[in-house]
Amino acid sequence: MTAIALNRRAVLTGAASLPFLRIPAARARAPGVLTFGLSSYPPTLQPWANGGTASATIKLMIHRGLVSFGPDGKVQPELAESWSRDDDKAWVFKLREARFHNGEKVTAADVQWTFEQIADEKSTAYFRAEMQRIAKVEAPDERTVRIVTKQPLVTVPNWLASFHMPIVSRNSPKGGAIGAGPFVLKGQERGVSVDLERFEGYYKPGLPRLKVIRAVAYADENLRVAALRSGDVDLIEYVPWQAMDAISADPTLKLDAIDGPFMYLVFNGSRPPFNDARVRRAVAHAIKREELVKAAFFGRGSPLEHLPIPDSSAFYNAEFKNGWRYDPALSKRLLADAGHGGGISCSLLSTAQYGMHKDTAEIVQQHLAAVGINVTLNLPDWATRVNIGNRGQFDIGVMGNAAESNDPDGLAAVLDGSLAASYVRSFGLKIDRIIELMEAGRSTFDEGKRRAIYRELEQVAIEQAPMVGLTWRSQGYAMRKDVSGFTNLPGALTFYSGLTFETAATA
Amino acid sequence: MLGFAARRLVVAAFLVWVVASLVFLVIHLIPGDPAELLLAQGGVAPDPATVAALREKLGLDQPLLLQYRDHLLGLIRGDFGLSLVDEHSVGAEIALRLPRTLELVGLAGLLATLIGLPLGVLAALAVGRAADRILSAAAGLALSVPVFVVGTLAVLVLAQELHWVPAGGYVPFAKDPLRHFTLLLMPAGTIALGLAAAVLRVTRSAVLEVLERDHVRAAQARGLGPAAIVRRHVVRNSLTPVVTVLALHLGSLLGGTVLVEFVFNYPGLSGYLVRAVEARDYPEVTGIVLVISALFVLLNFIVDLCYALIDPRVRHG
Repeated sequence: MTAIALNRRAVLTGAASLPFLRIPAARARAPGVLTFGLSSYPPTLQPWANGGTASATIKLMIHRGLVSFGPDGKVQPELAESWSRDDDKAWVFKLREARFHNGEKVTAADVQWTFEQIADEKSTAYFRAEMQRIAKVEAPDERTVRIVTKQPLVTVPNWLASFHMPIVSRNSPKGGAIGAGPFVLKGQERGVSVDLERFEGYYKPGLPRLKVIRAVAYADENLRVAALRSGDVDLIEYVPWQAMDAISADPTLKLDAIDGPFMYLVFNGSRPPFNDARVRRAVAHAIKREELVKAAFFGRGSPLEHLPIPDSSAFYNAEFKNGWRYDPALSKRLLADAGHGGGISCSLLSTAQYGMHKDTAEIVQQHLAAVGINVTLNLPDWATRVNIGNRGQFDIGVMGNAAESNDPDGLAAVLDGSLAASYVRSFGLKIDRIIELMEAGRSTFDEGKRRAIYRELEQVAIEQAPMVGLTWRSQGYAMRKDVSGFTNLPGALTFYSGLTFETAATA
Repeated sequence: MLGFAARRLVVAAFLVWVVASLVFLVIHLIPGDPAELLLAQGGVAPDPATVAALREKLGLDQPLLLQYRDHLLGLIRGDFGLSLVDEHSVGAEIALRLPRTLELVGLAGLLATLIGLPLGVLAALAVGRAADRILSAAAGLALSVPVFVVGTLAVLVLAQELHWVPAGGYVPFAKDPLRHFTLLLMPAGTIALGLAAAVLRVTRSAVLEVLERDHVRAAQARGLGPAAIVRRHVVRNSLTPVVTVLALHLGSLLGGTVLVEFVFNYPGLSGYLVRAVEARDYPEVTGIVLVISALFVLLNFIVDLCYALIDPRVRHG
């Protein structure tokens, strides 16, 4: 007993003396240099491929497209200084005086060449499929690009603002895309870090403000936070939810977090029981989402009982706010109506590789059990989960995602059953009215009419449950107090926050 | 002796081929498609036509037997192929990361020996007394605490609270030797802790056993001082099991430092292997596993040769 007391005292004394042993401001910081803690090393920096969010963030430092997204979430000019519609099927973009990293002018020919690469039969570009909607790209003069679409297409500027659509010099060497963004790629230590330097010829006067960005990959989220707190890095992405309180409370740090990405359920609509909308709705009403937010996201998020359209959007429909409210009695009734009064046994696919996917699946499992839906969890690694998701070898699946833009068309990947099978949406579930409305929304230019189209879309979605919203989840950046000019962009655009590295500065 | 070495070499080459084939087969058989994954980063839907185009480009549409043949032919030429993810040379990446892992494991082994060996001798000499009991208890604790706990605590206290060291990472020796070793010390120390405990235990029991032997009693009878007995007659004779245990541990650490690499953001070989498996990057997985197992086989080959040198009966066995 005495020994334990002594040990305890020794430990406590030791702990109490820690602050006195502390060396403050361990790292001498060079002015104009920012060290950025990435969540993973970018698997590829190929400009048009989807290499995940870490790749996208680095791409936003090196590249610029014709347009991008502003802090208000609206499309803003970049390499194109203005754009307009020629007729229903043509968009005209006027290029500004801008230069690539090799010193050459950005011309309409580069834009044409870029589009050709993306649309190429063998291209692995993310927007390859969308490019099939474009009939031709014309270059009437050096500074004018005319994009002619096969059908009227309202979403062209949104596509062109994507980080997967940067304009690359047609004189780029093979495997080394030359961009026109604010920073030049200087070096890569594969798997460790990426070094970038200011591009002196960037077209925005006075920008970028930083001289050097050193992006270092910290795959372990706790180490990423530790690196920020110890002063090794100035800014980190993907702040783990459990660390958000401590970072907010730290006087030397600031947290910039918003609800952007969302968690949801997808179904196998190609076979019973989830080919029946009543059964899908039964699932939607069975889940108490507050508990999900609390348990899986440490309270950092909010319930999502409708389509993932944020309340800041012009397309938000307040009347559907609680469309999929928690109502277990209703769930049981719907199941009974569908002939499953005795309950259902099925599989729930998620992944053990990511904590939030696994935790969400476990809580969903409990809530479904309470209304008589008994699910068996299937939690393989991510690669296997993607594989069996694409092949429809599941009944219900847990997914996390962000819309591609704050326009409701950015939800097409999640909702549009006419697209090829994919693990991000329900399998074999084609709801004709939703497909028609998505298409109508894409080809209608009038704002008021578009709002009406997406209101009907949400109404149909609430009734048919092509997917079921679970929670918004908080996406956070944390930085030292003396980092300025870096902003977490709103809603679905949080992963575009890398755009604001051009205005970022360290004191 | 030469004939014996040649026989063992043939067996070693055969073992490496078996491993190469097994790994190739297993990684291709488990579900998950590298092309699909590559295009599905960040939770978005890849277009099937794009996936098909990429599979064709990567040669994944070829029959498995053909891919296996190309793989083996490549290996014979010493070519590990290119990463499916970014077409980076797998051989070059292994050449970059293997020395880092060897350095980490080597330093951990050195630290473990420097700490574990003297303490083990001390514990054996003080057998049954307080020093022995404290050391044995400490070794038990060090063995049972997982490396990620030790590592996380080290980061929390030494980096985050005290600011003595950076919170993990890696700097090449050529760039900044001092920082290189500072960064190496934390992961190496973390591995060394458990390893030192293992060395301590083996040393303690080996020394206890040797102390009972006749030649030690004979030395005592000849009137040698305790220090000289321990140095000349006990420690040297106790080293064999210690070296065996240490070599075994270090061998398994070649591919098993993944947790420590993760906790300290150390870009070694194990973390690379895990990421390659996650991405189903076939050439990377097969290349890394092959190198690690070849090193294992080589280690065994050398050990076999040593036994043969020590004991001639082995040569003809």
